[in-house]
Amino acid sequence: MICGVNNAATRRYLYRFLTTMVFYVVFLFGAVWAFPRYHPTGAVAYLLAILPALPIIGGIVVVGLYLAEEKDEFQRTVLIQAMIWGIGATLSLTTAWGFLEVFKLVPHIELYLVFPLFCALTGVASGILKARYR
Amino acid sequence: MKNRLRVLRAEREWSQADLAERLEVSRQTVNAIETGKFDPSLPLAFKLARLFETTIEAIFDDTAPPAVGPTVFGG
Repeated sequence: MICGVNNAATRRYLYRFLTTMVFYVVFLFGAVWAFPRYHPTGAVAYLLAILPALPIIGGIVVVGLYLAEEKDEFQRTVLIQAMIWGIGATLSLTTAWGFLEVFKLVPHIELYLVFPLFCALTGVASGILKARYR
Repeated sequence: MKNRLRVLRAEREWSQADLAERLEVSRQTVNAIETGKFDPSLPLAFKLARLFETTIEAIFDDTAPPAVGPTVFGG
């Protein structure tokens, strides 16, 4: 997503993002481990189930902070353009898939997979944009 | 936008990396501006003009046809 680690904003971004990913792995395994063992109910069940989503939301905030802190306007522009392409491609694919699902032509896809799909598509867009700007 | 950055750089024998360091941007940024694929903001254009002790108009030429490449969204 972001190239070059020679500036403070990128270093902070990588440190923060890796931190959220560590929390993600811990929370995900925690929830998957605890659910079948303790059969939580009510608010506790909701809290435990939503736990892995929180670091992902944190990751989105981290990207926002990076955009606010990155002083290099070109790097900012490339990431913003890549994310707009990522958003467009993600919404197009998931909308098309959704209708295919309605008519039972494809299997159901879990909603939490939308975010990694967006990340992957944004990554592809970023690579194409960087090559075009070279 | 067409510009004279490459010439101005060559006069001072600066590499793209040298100019990038002076502007506090990445080398890719300098390259994208130099090739006319990315137009700098007004503050960065002023910074460039001050660095080369000239005016923005003396560096950038907005009357020339645009460079081939993505200027905004792949246009």
